[in-house]
Amino acid sequence: MKDINIVIEICGSAGEGTISAGEITSRFMSSQGFEIMSFDSYPAEIRGFGKCVAHTRISSRQIYSPGKLADVLIALNDKHAISQLSTLKENGILIYDSQPARPHKEDESVAGWAKPGMISYGIPLNMLAHKASGNARGMNMVALGALAALFYVDKSPFTDSIKTRYAKKKQIVIDSNVNSFLEGYNWTKENIKKIDPHSFKDITLPKPKEKLIINGNQLVARAALDADLSFYAGYPITPATKIMEILSRELPKHGGVLLQTEDEISAIGAVIGAGFGGKRAMTATSGPGFALMTEFTGLSVMAEVPAVIINSQRAGPSTGIPTKTEQSDFNSAVLGGTGDCPRIVLAPADTKSCYEATVLALYLAEKYQTLVVVLLDFFLSNSIRNINIPEKPSSEYLDANIAPDKNDFKDYQRYKITKNGISPRAIPGTPGGMFFSTGLEHDAYGRPNYSEAGHTAMTQKRFAKFNTVLTEAPAPEISANDRDEFDIGVISWGSSAGAAHEAVMSAQKEGINASSFSSMMLSPFPEKALIDFSDKCKKILIPELNFSGQFAGFATRILKRSVERLNFITGRPMASEDILQKMREM
Amino acid sequence: MPENDHYVIIGNGPAGNHAAATLRQKDKDAKITIISDECVPYYYKPRLTDFIAGEIAKEDLMVNFQDVKDIRIRCGQAVKRIDPDSKLLFLQHMEKIEFSKLIIASGSRARVLPTMSGYADHLKFVTSYTDVMEYKEEIRKAENFFIFGGDLVGFKFFKMLNSMDKTVTIMIDPDAFWPYRLTRDMLEQISENLLKFNTEIIVKDEVLSIDRQNGSYRVKTRKGIEKNVDMVLSFNGLNPNIEFAKGSGIDIDYGILVDEYLKTNVDGIYACGSCAQIYNQAIKSYTTSIGWPNAVVQGEVAALNLLGDHKIIESVGQKYFDLEGVKIKTTWWEDINEDNDA
Ligand SMILES: Cc1cc2nc3c(=O)[nH]c(=O)nc-3n(C[C@H](O)[C@H](O)[C@H](O)COP(=O)(O)OP(=O)(O)OC[C@H]3O[C@@H](n4cnc5c(N)ncnc54)[C@H](O)[C@@H]3O)c2cc1C
Repeated sequence: MKDINIVIEICGSAGEGTISAGEITSRFMSSQGFEIMSFDSYPAEIRGFGKCVAHTRISSRQIYSPGKLADVLIALNDKHAISQLSTLKENGILIYDSQPARPHKEDESVAGWAKPGMISYGIPLNMLAHKASGNARGMNMVALGALAALFYVDKSPFTDSIKTRYAKKKQIVIDSNVNSFLEGYNWTKENIKKIDPHSFKDITLPKPKEKLIINGNQLVARAALDADLSFYAGYPITPATKIMEILSRELPKHGGVLLQTEDEISAIGAVIGAGFGGKRAMTATSGPGFALMTEFTGLSVMAEVPAVIINSQRAGPSTGIPTKTEQSDFNSAVLGGTGDCPRIVLAPADTKSCYEATVLALYLAEKYQTLVVVLLDFFLSNSIRNINIPEKPSSEYLDANIAPDKNDFKDYQRYKITKNGISPRAIPGTPGGMFFSTGLEHDAYGRPNYSEAGHTAMTQKRFAKFNTVLTEAPAPEISANDRDEFDIGVISWGSSAGAAHEAVMSAQKEGINASSFSSMMLSPFPEKALIDFSDKCKKILIPELNFSGQFAGFATRILKRSVERLNFITGRPMASEDILQKMREM
Repeated sequence: MPENDHYVIIGNGPAGNHAAATLRQKDKDAKITIISDECVPYYYKPRLTDFIAGEIAKEDLMVNFQDVKDIRIRCGQAVKRIDPDSKLLFLQHMEKIEFSKLIIASGSRARVLPTMSGYADHLKFVTSYTDVMEYKEEIRKAENFFIFGGDLVGFKFFKMLNSMDKTVTIMIDPDAFWPYRLTRDMLEQISENLLKFNTEIIVKDEVLSIDRQNGSYRVKTRKGIEKNVDMVLSFNGLNPNIEFAKGSGIDIDYGILVDEYLKTNVDGIYACGSCAQIYNQAIKSYTTSIGWPNAVVQGEVAALNLLGDHKIIESVGQKYFDLEGVKIKTTWWEDINEDNDA
């Protein structure tokens, strides 16, 4: 059976049904057993009528990155689609409206800009939508109908996906959408001479298990609920807002409390307060909010209070570009803040591991009584995958506090120096477990103490936690690890890791002896594993989505060798094609 | 009006491309646009048969024509209508384009005769890349073919099928060679020479009906021959593509009528290549020209004249085309296999 590996982009203006058309396509393809990865981009303004693009990669095999260029561009809006043509492959397919409501002025039609070699199919989207439902709203569905007809996709399961999408709407809405789809399907079958090679004919994949079609933000919220989160405080900010939105609905149902604060400083303050009170607490923000929280993060570490911050990175600095993805908060998350401030930082590499990372973050924060930052980015927050339903965390992940025993209460030392740095923590209100807590340096009882020896011992204790934390995190992912030597090793983190892994697999097919390394744990970092990997590699490449190579700088200090860097700040997710190209040049 | 002249050429074949290259050579500043209703860069039509047979790759089909510089090529965009008065072209997708001067080089497509109307739906025509992409796989999979007509393209296609070990029945019609008619002697000689291909040849007969039955086609002829085949292809000559010019005020017959300078009756509008019907002073009548070399020369001449020159068009060389052993004098057809004829 031949492989399917295709990227479809739907481009329109906000309000034209671009995103829902993308969503329906993803759902349908997932129901047919395909792997999907989709990613929407939309205007940066909070309210706007700008360009929206729904990007979906569909594959009959496992995929790790969204694909850089599109095989198909569906243009629901000519003006926006003209600029989107630059991401259509040289031999890509353009589906456009051949009978718009008003004639185009010269150069205002996307069809006029299709490059030689691209295949354009003009479909009367607007006319057919009117025919189906009396208005232009169904243009997106007409286009999906055309797509299904062109690619020999079975129409009835596709219409089922449309019905499911609009199941909660009135019957007339469902009918209009289905009819628009069928108009597009039938018209295309009758009128279009197909000259492209794409076809889903005779492709039947095994009936898929029940899958979740979900993005990183939704998974973070789901994981938090599954991991017994009981308090959330936050201030909305793109791209993290969705987490709060979901939790505002769901957390109270789980007996938890959600507090919208006046700003991010209050939010982290409240989270630390709840953590101090023994509750599992977290907040979610993005770069600018994280910057505001910085002072308080030191308190979590110093006073040894569990706190979890999800930081979904966007292009910065300052308010930057809210709806563009970047990995430029590595330094602020791993190294920022005041003093010697050991904090745990996790960076999931894909949607699925957003769940794992959130569960782990709440567990580690509670067990190690410290700050845990989870670094997502705009892409991970918003990109949609179809994944198996994650297994709920086992009980050990749900109750991780190491509590003092009765004997401890005879002379309770909340900050007792221990080998692994963890001092049994009494939750306020526990009889006999009273203690001082402060952001000032302190002694084992929590009383302010600025002595040379005291500060040294306490700093060592806080850092000692790092020794065991590493054993609790998933080991770094290393491909082809059974080999002894590689010409190129690609080291990556966060959302770039999927693209790096895919690039390495393609490189291996081209005969390049390469391997990839990525670690969810950024702080503490698995330095030994990194050094061992580096020792096997003749050359090292570090791709990341920031200008200054923040992680590359960090890794270079560990490896004490020079590395090749590949940096992008385009606002788009990392593309495996770019990494592969760089590998070929190395 | 645009600041600089905007020369628009309808057609991305040899006539259109050589017109565009000549215009660019002579006028560095003008805006030049080529429009083609096909979604493919400039390609060799004569190599389509080799492409179908899998003998050449898509890259080898493309003409590597470096002289087309700084020219906007609008592919996959059909011209629907011309308004010479307002100097506007109306495209199928409802975009309007202003031009200052226009060259029509829209070529030709398969001729469908009125007698075919009863079964035209079942016929396949192969005159363009788009046709080929639509039928390539079907042709590769099919075993039995019925070809009828038998113009130059038809014979090329027949030989291709033969090289692919397909079973072909060919029905030769002397009119297929349109606009030239084969003589009775020629016809007989051709069919005799075709015998070496171990194929069934039908002459002096005509198709009566074609019906679709269980995925194949049943062809019946007037003389009672019945054939069950997988595909029926028609090669009955070519008709100029001129629908968009109808009603525009540009004089047309079956092609676009032009004088010896390739100028139409409308100032600033020229036509060349196989869409044009060119006035021939010697015979005091119009002739169509088919074939790659003529299209090339005509494109160049149309461009020069559009820029103010006064060149009379002449046919390219006197050639004898070998149609299955029969020498047919043409001035308009050449074997196109090498890159040098771009
Ligand atoms: C299969 C085949 C084999 C051949 N073999 C040979 C051979 O061996 N030797 C030889 O000399 N000749 C051969 N020919 C003939 C030769 O290819 C033609 O004579 C030549 O291509 C004519 O050139 P042209 O530029 O006039 O038109 P074309 O090459 O036909 O180009 C016409 C262009 O106009 C465009 N067009 C048409 N209508 C519109 C519209 N409404 N809007 C926008 N664009 C439009 C088309 O898309 C195309 O780009 C062959 C032809 C075929 C089909």
